[in-house]
Amino acid sequence: MSAAEDLTSAVDDLFTIATRELRTVVRTPAVVALAVVFALTVVGVAAAGSGARGGYVPLVLDLLPFVEALVPLLGFALCYRTVLSDRRSGELDVLQTFGVSRPAYVGGVFLGRSLALVAVVFGSLLVAGATVPVLSPEKPTFLALNAAADSPAAFARFAVLAVVFALSTASVALAVSAAARTARQAIALAVGLLVAFVVGVDAAAVAGLATGRFGIDTVPHLLALSPNGAFRSLVFGVAVETGQATTPLVALVGLGGWLAGALFVAVVTAWKPVE
Amino acid sequence: MAFVTPTATRWVAGVAALVLVLASVSFVVPVSGTVSPVSFDDTVKTGGTAVDVQQAKTDGFEVPVAQAHFSRYRYIIGYYGVGTAAADVASPESARQFGDPLAVFVSDYATVSPVLDEDDYLRTEHNRHPGWVEASDAVFVVDSDARIPSGPIVVPFSDPTAARSFTDEYGGTVVDWETLRERSESSLSGRLDAFESSVESHHDWADQTTAAREPLFDRPVSTVVGEDAPTIEAAVESAPEGTAVYVPPGTYSVDSIDVNRSITLLGAGNATHLVGDGNGTVVHVRADEAAVGNLSISGVGSVGTRRVRATNESVDWDTRVQLAYGRGDAGVVLDGATDSALRNVIIDTPASGVIVRESADSVLDNLTIRGAATPSEGFMGIVLIGEPSVVQHSTLHDGRDGVYTHRADGSVVRDNYMEGGRYGVHEMYTSDMLVADNVVRDERIGVIIMTRPVGNLVVGNDIRDSDFGFIPAGSNTYVADNVFATNEYGMDVSGDRQVYTRNVVVGNNIGVRGSSTFPTNVVVRNDIVGNDVQVESTLGPMRTWTTDGEGNYWGDLPLADEDRDGAYDRAFQPSGPIDSELGRHPGALVLSRSPVMDALRSARDEVAGLRGSGVVDAAPRTEPVRSATLASLNATETANTTGAMTHTEKPNV
Repeated sequence: MSAAEDLTSAVDDLFTIATRELRTVVRTPAVVALAVVFALTVVGVAAAGSGARGGYVPLVLDLLPFVEALVPLLGFALCYRTVLSDRRSGELDVLQTFGVSRPAYVGGVFLGRSLALVAVVFGSLLVAGATVPVLSPEKPTFLALNAAADSPAAFARFAVLAVVFALSTASVALAVSAAARTARQAIALAVGLLVAFVVGVDAAAVAGLATGRFGIDTVPHLLALSPNGAFRSLVFGVAVETGQATTPLVALVGLGGWLAGALFVAVVTAWKPVE
Repeated sequence: MAFVTPTATRWVAGVAALVLVLASVSFVVPVSGTVSPVSFDDTVKTGGTAVDVQQAKTDGFEVPVAQAHFSRYRYIIGYYGVGTAAADVASPESARQFGDPLAVFVSDYATVSPVLDEDDYLRTEHNRHPGWVEASDAVFVVDSDARIPSGPIVVPFSDPTAARSFTDEYGGTVVDWETLRERSESSLSGRLDAFESSVESHHDWADQTTAAREPLFDRPVSTVVGEDAPTIEAAVESAPEGTAVYVPPGTYSVDSIDVNRSITLLGAGNATHLVGDGNGTVVHVRADEAAVGNLSISGVGSVGTRRVRATNESVDWDTRVQLAYGRGDAGVVLDGATDSALRNVIIDTPASGVIVRESADSVLDNLTIRGAATPSEGFMGIVLIGEPSVVQHSTLHDGRDGVYTHRADGSVVRDNYMEGGRYGVHEMYTSDMLVADNVVRDERIGVIIMTRPVGNLVVGNDIRDSDFGFIPAGSNTYVADNVFATNEYGMDVSGDRQVYTRNVVVGNNIGVRGSSTFPTNVVVRNDIVGNDVQVESTLGPMRTWTTDGEGNYWGDLPLADEDRDGAYDRAFQPSGPIDSELGRHPGALVLSRSPVMDALRSARDEVAGLRGSGVVDAAPRTEPVRSATLASLNATETANTTGAMTHTEKPNV
C-alpha cells in the first residue's frame, strides 16, 4: 500500500472508532445524566449570579470557578476508562488483528468522546450566555453605549477557551485510561490528577510563594503547569481583561502541551507495537 | 443507533470544528473598540444644577462639559462642569465601580474665541460650539473669573497659548489634567468636615439673621387700632416708619392690608384675629425691615396657583415657575421685603400660608399654618422664592407642601413640624440650603430635592409614617443624622456624589431605595435595621456602600467577626435574595455558606459597573452607630427581624 492509502485507511479507522465511541456515550445513561446535570448547573449558576443581569464579562467571572471545577470532572468521567475497558474486554487485541494503528485508535476514541464533551460544554455555555440578553434590563436607546466595557465576543472567547480546556482534560483522562492496567489504578490516577488540577497545583503555588521558595514572577509559569491554571490565565488574559492586550502565551503553551502530551502518552501506552 | 454512522461522525466532527473556528473569530474581533467622543446628548448626564443648564440654554452662555469612558461601565458619563468630571474620575468610588477611565474628553475652547460677558458667563464668538479634546492632551484654566450660576468653572483648552491669553484677560492659572484631578481629589473625611462646617455656618447665619430681626418686634407702638386709627388699614397707613401698629384683641374683618413702609404690625396673640374677605392675600408686605407678629389670620382667597397655561414665548422658565408658585393667594406675602420678619402668626388658608418673594434675609419664626384638608385642594404652607430666608419653629398642617422653595439658595429651614400634607420640604432649583431638625409625620414625602441642585444639607430631621422619607436629586447633598422610621420607603439614594451618614432607617416597609444610575454616592455609618425589605435596588449597576473600610449597620447578622475590627468578615449584599433573609430564616445562613454562594460572592466584587443592580456592603458593622436612637425607637433587640415597629395606617394623600 502507498503512504496515501495508508493514511486514508487510518482516517477511516479513526472515524469508525469515533463512531463506536459516540454510540457508547449516547447509550450510557449515567454519562447522559452527568451531561444534563452539568448543563443545568452552568445555566443555574448564570441565573443565580448578578453577572447575567448585567453583561457578558461579569457572567464569565461568575461561571469561571464552576467551569474550572466541573469541566475536568466531565472530561474525566467520559474518558478515564475508555482504553482500559477495551483492553480488558479483549477488543484491543481484535482491533490489532485488523491492523488498526495506535494513533488511529487513540485519535478515534478521543474524537468520539470529545464530540460529546464539546457539545455539552459549548452548548451549556451558549445557553448560559443567552441568559444575558434575557435577564439584563433593557438598555435605553437614547444613550450611547461604551463598546469598550462589555461584549459578547468576550463570552465567545471564554466558551472557546473552555472547549480547549475540556479537550485537554479529556486527553489527560485518555492517557490515564491507556496507562492504567487495572480499574483501581485508573480511578486512583484520575481522581489524583483531578484533585491536583482543581486544588493541588494552585495550593502548591500559593504554598511556594508563602514560604518564599519562589517569587511572584514565576507565578504565570506555575499556573501554566496545570490545565486549570493555564485556562484561568487565558480567560483573564483575553476574555476578561479586554482592554489590555497581553496574551498569556505561556498559558497557551501549557494548555496545548497538556493536550498534545497526554495524547502522545495515550498513543504510546495503548499497546506495545509488534516488532 | 443506526443513525450514528462513520459518515455521520465525519459530518458532526466537521460541523463541530466549523463552529469552533467561527467562535474563534472572537479572538480576532477587537473587544475594545476605539474610544472616541460621542454627542453629549447621548451620555448619561450628571453635575451642574438645573438652574445652570436651563439658564445656559435660555441665555446662550457656555457650560464646559466633559465625557468619561470607563473600562467597566456600559454608558458614557457626561458631566456639566469639567471640575466635577475631574473629581469623579479621581474618586476611589469611580475606580471601584466603573473600572479605569479609558478616556475623558472635554470641551475645547481654544478655537472658539471665548469671552466673559458682564455676568462673567462664558460665551463664544458667534455662539460657536466647542469641539472635544482628550483631557490628558488639554490644559485647564482654573480660578479665573469665569462662572455659571452655581459657581466658578474650569475652562479647558487644547492649546496652552489660547489658555494663557484667556488668563491674561480674565485671571486664573493654567494647569494640566493631572493637576486638576489632584486638586479635585477629596477624601471622605475632608468632605465630611466641609459639610459639617457648612451646616454650622448655615446655623450661624440663621442665628445672626434671627437676632438681627429681633429689634423689629421691640419697636415703640405709635398707633393703636381702635384708638389712634379706626381700622388696621388706616393705622398701617398713618404709622411713622420704625414704629409698631398695635392691634388689640378682637376679630377684624379686613380687605387687604398693604404694609408699604418699615413698620411692625403687632397683635395681642391668638386673640387678635384678622379675617380676610376670602379673596386674594390678606397682608401684603412690600417694604424692607417690616414685620408682622402675634396675630392670627384667616379668610384667605382660595387661588393656589396662577399658572400660565398657554405656551408663551415671552415667558421664560423662571417666570413660569414664579407665576405658578409665587402669585397665588396667601395669608401673608413678603414681596421684596428684605430684612423683614413674621413671628407668632397663625394662618388658616385654603391656598398658601406665606409667600416670600425676593425678600433676602427674612425670618419666619414660630408660625402655625393650617392648609386645606386634602393636598390637591390646598397649596404651599410657606413658599420661598429668589432669596435666602430662615424658616424655623413653625408648624405646618395639611395643605400641599410644608415649605416650597424656588431658587432660594442658602435658606435655612429648621426645627419645624410638618404633618398631613403632600411634601414636608420641597426644594426646587435651590442649592446650598439647610434643612435641619424638622419633624415630619404622615406626608407623601418628608423631604424632596428636585431639579439637580448642589450642596444641600439635610441633617437631624425625623421623618415618620410617610410614603417616602427622603428623595434627593442633584449632587453633593449631605444627608446626616436623620431618622427615617415606619415609612413606606425610608430614604432614597439617588443623584450623584451624595453623602449619607449616621442616618437611622428603621421599621420601614422598604428601608433604602437605590435608584441612581450612578454608583458614586457614599453611604456609610448608617443604621439600617428592621425594615421589611432593607434595600431595594432596581436601577443602576451593583453599588458598594463602603468607603475607607467603613460600612453600615444592617442589624445583628449571623456572621463572624474573627478579627474583632467591628466589621463582619465578609461582604454583605442586603439587596440579594439570600443575604436579605440572613438572620430572619435559618435556611438563608446555610445556603449562604455553600461553595456556590462563596464563589458567586467573590466574583460579584469584580466588574461591579456591569453587573445587575444591587447593593453590597464590604464592611458591614457589627455594632450600631446610633445605639441610643435605635433603643429609643425600640429597634435594638429585634434588629434584623420584621415587626419591630408597627406601621401606622395612613390616609390616602
